[in-house]
Amino acid sequence: MADAVPASYEAAVERLEEIIDRLDSGQAGLRETLDLCREGKELVDYCAGELDAVGEGLKELNLDDLAARLDSSANPSS
Amino acid sequence: MDEPQISLGAPARPGPDLPGPFAVGRYAKVLQEEMRKRARVLLIGEVTGVGRSKVQAYFELRDGDGAVPCAIWRNDLEKAGLPEGALRDGAEVVIAGGPDYYPGGGAASPSFCFRATHVRLAGEGDLLARLEALRAQLRAEGLTELQKQLARPLLPRTIGVVTAEGGAARRDLLAGLERRGWGGTLVWAFAPVQDRHAAPAIARALQDLAARPEIEAIVVTRGGGSLADLWAFCDETLCRTVAMLRVPVVSAVGHERDSTLIDDVAAVACSTPTHAAEAAVPLDCRAARRELGRQALCLRRGADGAIGARARHLGALARGPARALQRQRTILNQKTREIRAASERGLAERGAFQQRIATVVLARARRRALDRAERAEEKRRRHGAALDSASERALARRREALRKAAVALRAHDPERTLERGYALAETADGEPLTDAAAATAAGRFSLRFSDGRIDARTAADPGPGAGGDQGG
Repeated sequence: MADAVPASYEAAVERLEEIIDRLDSGQAGLRETLDLCREGKELVDYCAGELDAVGEGLKELNLDDLAARLDSSANPSS
Repeated sequence: MDEPQISLGAPARPGPDLPGPFAVGRYAKVLQEEMRKRARVLLIGEVTGVGRSKVQAYFELRDGDGAVPCAIWRNDLEKAGLPEGALRDGAEVVIAGGPDYYPGGGAASPSFCFRATHVRLAGEGDLLARLEALRAQLRAEGLTELQKQLARPLLPRTIGVVTAEGGAARRDLLAGLERRGWGGTLVWAFAPVQDRHAAPAIARALQDLAARPEIEAIVVTRGGGSLADLWAFCDETLCRTVAMLRVPVVSAVGHERDSTLIDDVAAVACSTPTHAAEAAVPLDCRAARRELGRQALCLRRGADGAIGARARHLGALARGPARALQRQRTILNQKTREIRAASERGLAERGAFQQRIATVVLARARRRALDRAERAEEKRRRHGAALDSASERALARRREALRKAAVALRAHDPERTLERGYALAETADGEPLTDAAAATAAGRFSLRFSDGRIDARTAADPGPGAGGDQGG
């Protein structure tokens, strides 16, 4: 999964936990450890981005307003 | 329901295959009799279109599958003892009665109705019986599993919510989401949640929300109430709609003890709006942020540790030879000290041994020397007396010989000659002048007598004055 955008937050977290388990096991060689750490940092950045996306305060929209907006954009002359 | 068997006497022949034609008024009356022979039953459903006349009340009883027009005589309705206004649109009722047919008359229109003789509001038992039947049907069709097979995102960015606009459930859901630390987008689809229009409105709202691609989960919620109040959420059409949605639906209808049919078909059924918030956002965002920080730290330590540990290991390996040398050096020093100590111990022992030997040897030599000394002393003592006497004798002999020699010597002593009146001529240096020539040659000389010395000179010697002449 290295260098690829994770499919979802849960996929990223799952992979991150795998990486940390592998690092904690102490069985990874130096090259693998460095690769895992680099991949893990990318996943942390991705997860932090996802958390930031829902961390800027709750926004409330009304479905009727959205529908009206869509209607007006579909028929700009009306 | 079997077709009514109507007998109208001898038929005319309307056609090749059917009996009749019959007079319609008579046919209508026979039909009325046949209808009234039908078995009396209990029906349950929702009341709609209530109307009243002087003699009866009429309404439709319906559910999701169909409806029957009903009528009840006013005296039967009064005997039922329903609360004032209980027979109203939306009320769930149970009625007892059977089918009836009004044949009409010259000016009155014919009509069919279910003639109710008893009516009561549907109790929970009635509703639960309907609920269970519908639940079994939905389950048999596999509709209760479809939503549960949908993947629910751990962290949805946009959530749709169907609820009443002014309900407490809305407030509770917002509080639950904020407690979760979730700050995404909520799309509200407000709908009535308790009347005969509720179920279709909710179903429509759900479909509209699910049609929006950004919506990743939908919450349907309302507060508690009686089963009759919550009955809209048991609507079969609504439940079938929920089951077929592509978006996971979280239901939180009523309180913990309430169980509506939408709970069965939803992806997750929750007891309260607060729980629905947790189900819609499975990830506790606050905890996730903390956990992410911890994991980032783990990764940093992992990288640093991997390098550091290996560097330390490498350093330890690099120090290995020096350490081994040091170890060998230490061992060598230790051995050297041990050898030195052993050597010193050996020397000391050897010295002590030699000293013991020397002591013994010396003791023996001393003893031998002492023995020899003793023997010599003994020997000396033994010969001492003889030696003493021999010595004395030799001494006496030597003394006698000496005395004799002294006598002989004295006989030759010139001094004795001088004592007998002779004089000795000597030079001023004391050299004897033994002949006249020597005296002449000396010119001046002295004459030593036994009692003194006088100066003399030869006649040939002029000397310093005449008065000074002395004969010899």
